Amino acid sequence: MVAPPDNDVLWARSLQHSHNGSPGLGGVSLGVRDGEILAVTGPRGSGKTTLLHCLSGQLVPQEGEVWFNSVPVHTMGPRMREQLRRDRFGWIAADPQLVPELTTWENAALPLLLRGVSHRAAKKAATEWLERLDIGPLAKKRPHALLQAQRQRISVARALTASPTVIFADEPTASLHVTERALLLRTLTTAARSHGITVVLATHDAEIAKLADRTVALLDGRRVTTVALPAASDTEGRSACSLSV
Amino acid sequence: MLALRLTRGSHPLVLVRRLLLASASAGVGFLLLCTLGYASGHPAHASDSVMRLLWCAVPLAATVQLAVAVARTDPSTRPRPGLFAAGLGPVRLSVLAAASTAVSTTLGSVVALLLFLHLRGDLTGLPFDGGAAEFLGAGTPLPLAAALTLLALVPLASAVAGGLALRSRPAAPSEAQAAEEELAPAPVPKGLPWGVALTAAGLAVEAYAGRGTPGSAFPLPGRLDSTPASVLAGWVLTAIGLAMAGPGLTYLCGRLLQVVRPGAVRLLAGRVLMDEACRIGRPLGVVCAVVSGAIAATALYSDGPRPFGPLTTLGAVLVLGCSTATLLTTALEAKQARARTAESLLRLGAPAAVLRSAAALRALVLLAVFAPLTWVIAELAALPLTG
Repeated sequence: MVAPPDNDVLWARSLQHSHNGSPGLGGVSLGVRDGEILAVTGPRGSGKTTLLHCLSGQLVPQEGEVWFNSVPVHTMGPRMREQLRRDRFGWIAADPQLVPELTTWENAALPLLLRGVSHRAAKKAATEWLERLDIGPLAKKRPHALLQAQRQRISVARALTASPTVIFADEPTASLHVTERALLLRTLTTAARSHGITVVLATHDAEIAKLADRTVALLDGRRVTTVALPAASDTEGRSACSLSV
Repeated sequence: MLALRLTRGSHPLVLVRRLLLASASAGVGFLLLCTLGYASGHPAHASDSVMRLLWCAVPLAATVQLAVAVARTDPSTRPRPGLFAAGLGPVRLSVLAAASTAVSTTLGSVVALLLFLHLRGDLTGLPFDGGAAEFLGAGTPLPLAAALTLLALVPLASAVAGGLALRSRPAAPSEAQAAEEELAPAPVPKGLPWGVALTAAGLAVEAYAGRGTPGSAFPLPGRLDSTPASVLAGWVLTAIGLAMAGPGLTYLCGRLLQVVRPGAVRLLAGRVLMDEACRIGRPLGVVCAVVSGAIAATALYSDGPRPFGPLTTLGAVLVLGCSTATLLTTALEAKQARARTAESLLRLGAPAAVLRSAAALRALVLLAVFAPLTWVIAELAALPLTG
């Protein structure tokens, strides 16, 4: 076991993982520096989500190592990894994944409440972030009464309220329209930069990846320098496909 | 055929629920057949036989309630986007659910028939030295059509009720749509005032009826024969009132849980209870009514010279067991409905202990509210009759 470089907040070495036999990751290594915004790009099924799950301790890779601040994550028990996610990591998924019974501010304050922070302090922190994300007036509404874009902002506020070390964002704009997409990403990246939060952003969109400091491209579970798929021609397969189907 | 195939591949817990349903159906079928046996053996006591048949309606209703709860939790008939796209919409799924309910209840009915014939001595001669010969009407021929009609009662009623209950369930064409539908809050239950009024009216009727002489217009089958009809009417009113008040009371419990600066556990426990009040409150009210009835009946009759007969005991066990199983199955349904939320909470790093303690807190609060209520209602119901 080799100790990782000191300036990397997250460090992974030759991660391998397969989902019930079908390959997910095939030997991915990468380092995430403190305070940077790293984009993980690649088409669907290239292993971005699996990589983020491994890095955030939701999944233990079958082979390989994950280190967070010079502490091995892959050898931790489930309870320790849970605590790590609660205290140091934030997670933004493609869909907002809010708790339907809770109001907006309660959803945003949930990570703090789960840490055992007092009700008042959690409410204050959550309300501040909701104001900064322009959804302050919606603080007392339930998720069913909100638009998808507003819900996704709550999910961003929830990740930021807990003031984590690293935020993992797995296709955070997948369910949004183009205008809301840019706004949400700009808010997230600005907030992360001003608070020194490291962001690992998985996306299949090259435009979004431009907002990041650095880009790592994945294809079929491996790191590649450029994602260049063979161009599909109109007639491809016509002559080759002589099967009667 | 699809129903059978889905049954073969299902989880052991699902099979246990179906077996429970089958045994409940067997119990009710056996009670119905006993009524028939008694009627054919004692043609002179026709009104007595009708009374026995009417009493069978209570376990029958409890079994149908269990069948609906089991059908609702059955994973093989849950709306699935893939099946929806393939044309298996809510209507076809409800037919499927009705078929699988009919399969398990018919199994129970067949077991009941075999057991009944064995005890009557129609298969191998009388077991237990003919101890059960009298009330099973051994020795008299059994009308086949009547037996089949009675045995078909449980499967038919359960299948129809199960199918109808699932028919109104929404089906979503995609996962995203399903997630959107899960966000919609459950309506606030409004039956509490009506429930309280009905319960109070029922208790009043019982108290009023208890003043007169103990008649015997509506006796329990077997040994109990001192229950006047108005007392029973009062008890039925109380039971309906409790079932109606259940959701409202559950909602209030949830509301109380989450007031005054709640932490994560109290917040999650209270809000979820408020949202699940409609689902869980009704079977809870039914259990409450059944248990209070059982407590009152034991208080009234256990000291008397005539203890409970075997068939009365079987009926009581069936009703108690079915209502409790319905409550547990409904709790499981609520848990299944919240699987997506629980998953996203775990992703946030919520310890599993938090989710468990929230569930335990909910159960504790419900127990703390409903157990004294049950006891008080049982005491109030028994008071005018014993005093």
